[in-house]
Amino acid sequence: MAWALLILLFQVLVLDQVHPWGYGAPLLCPIIIITLPFGTSRSVALLWGFGTGFIADIFAGTSGISSAALTLIAFIQPPLLELMAPRDTEEAFRPSFAVMGRWKYLWFISQLLLIHHLVYFALEGFSYFYIKDIAISMGISYVASLLLILLAEHVRKDEK
Amino acid sequence: MHDFIERITAYIHWALFLLLETLSGFLLFQYNHYQGSVWFTQANAVAAMVHEWEEVALAYLRLPEENAALVRRNIVLQQQNDLLRHGNLPTSLLRKGDTIASFTLPVNETGEAYSQIEARIIDNSVRKRDNMLVINVGSDDGVAPEMGVVSGTGVVGIVSAVTSHYALVMSVLNSHSSISCRLRGTEYFGYLKWKGGSPLRACMDDVPRHAHIKKGDIVETSGFSAVFPAGIFLGRVAEIKNSSDGLAYELEILLSTDLANLRHVSVINNHSKAELDSLLSQ
Repeated sequence: MAWALLILLFQVLVLDQVHPWGYGAPLLCPIIIITLPFGTSRSVALLWGFGTGFIADIFAGTSGISSAALTLIAFIQPPLLELMAPRDTEEAFRPSFAVMGRWKYLWFISQLLLIHHLVYFALEGFSYFYIKDIAISMGISYVASLLLILLAEHVRKDEK
Repeated sequence: MHDFIERITAYIHWALFLLLETLSGFLLFQYNHYQGSVWFTQANAVAAMVHEWEEVALAYLRLPEENAALVRRNIVLQQQNDLLRHGNLPTSLLRKGDTIASFTLPVNETGEAYSQIEARIIDNSVRKRDNMLVINVGSDDGVAPEMGVVSGTGVVGIVSAVTSHYALVMSVLNSHSSISCRLRGTEYFGYLKWKGGSPLRACMDDVPRHAHIKKGDIVETSGFSAVFPAGIFLGRVAEIKNSSDGLAYELEILLSTDLANLRHVSVINNHSKAELDSLLSQ
């Protein structure tokens, strides 16, 4: 919970003001949904997705966009995690490099983040056909977000 | 029966998923219309307060740039002052009791002075398709929707909604923004629009092909609407292109104001706007 709040604050106060080369912006919020523990009830996950998105939206003035994108990945996260979880785990665990292995976890993050970004930028650019600009914004934001999330995951690991 | 309930609870997340996505869609369509409610935007009380704390905390770090901007603005004002002194404008047009701060803008067609309300930007974005700003003045300070917002270097946007202490401003960098403009020294006018991409470039449509235009020409407000007085700087012509139908020119404009790096602005209060509006609606 405290971790989620910290991420949200960082997103709202710092990242929303950053625009690499005038395009896009790194989005760190998805990490809150990506790292929901194994075994989280799907309804609870959905509420997390919507709630996180709703708060991010209010502060960024993107009403509905983050909440739609985060609700979608919150819908996908539990089954995807089940599919990719190590076979021998029984108890609840929080997805991380340590539990899932480096490449598998990276692949897990990349997929969910990609889905999130596709929806986010599709909705943001809705009804405007500047495909090139939207694609550039999405690409830059995707790479920046991915790097940030990996960094945040390392910070979290060091804290333990 | 037991089986039935079990089946329902097994699929309840589908219903919840659809419900939450519908709700998101509702928020998206309902509140992204900037004229709509200000409750779910950055101008709602809680979000605005947090952004204001952030602004206060960071303001100190940007003092050097602020200083530079003030100096630049000072120069602009001095030039304006000089124009007023040597120009044809009779000083009697200035309203009694106007301070220096409220009299630096030119007078409008009906002879009344525009006054300015100083404001600070507390939230700003340039990365979206429809960018909005929040400023720290609202209806209690005399700000109302449809008022123009300018900075020392040019046009910033138009107020779209107000609460008692904050106002939501539609930035020039908004796909819905359309500002009546002209080429300085000519009668050719058009509308300044932003088509996304770089926050420093916008375009001006519908310039007739017989117009003589060259790169570097100044684009300023036309004064046709009561929102902005005529002659406020918008930018310079950076590129001259053919419009998609080939019948007119489309000018690419290098904006004079860097909206990504802006802190102090003024809201323009046109005292006779209400009068003009009622005249136009008759």
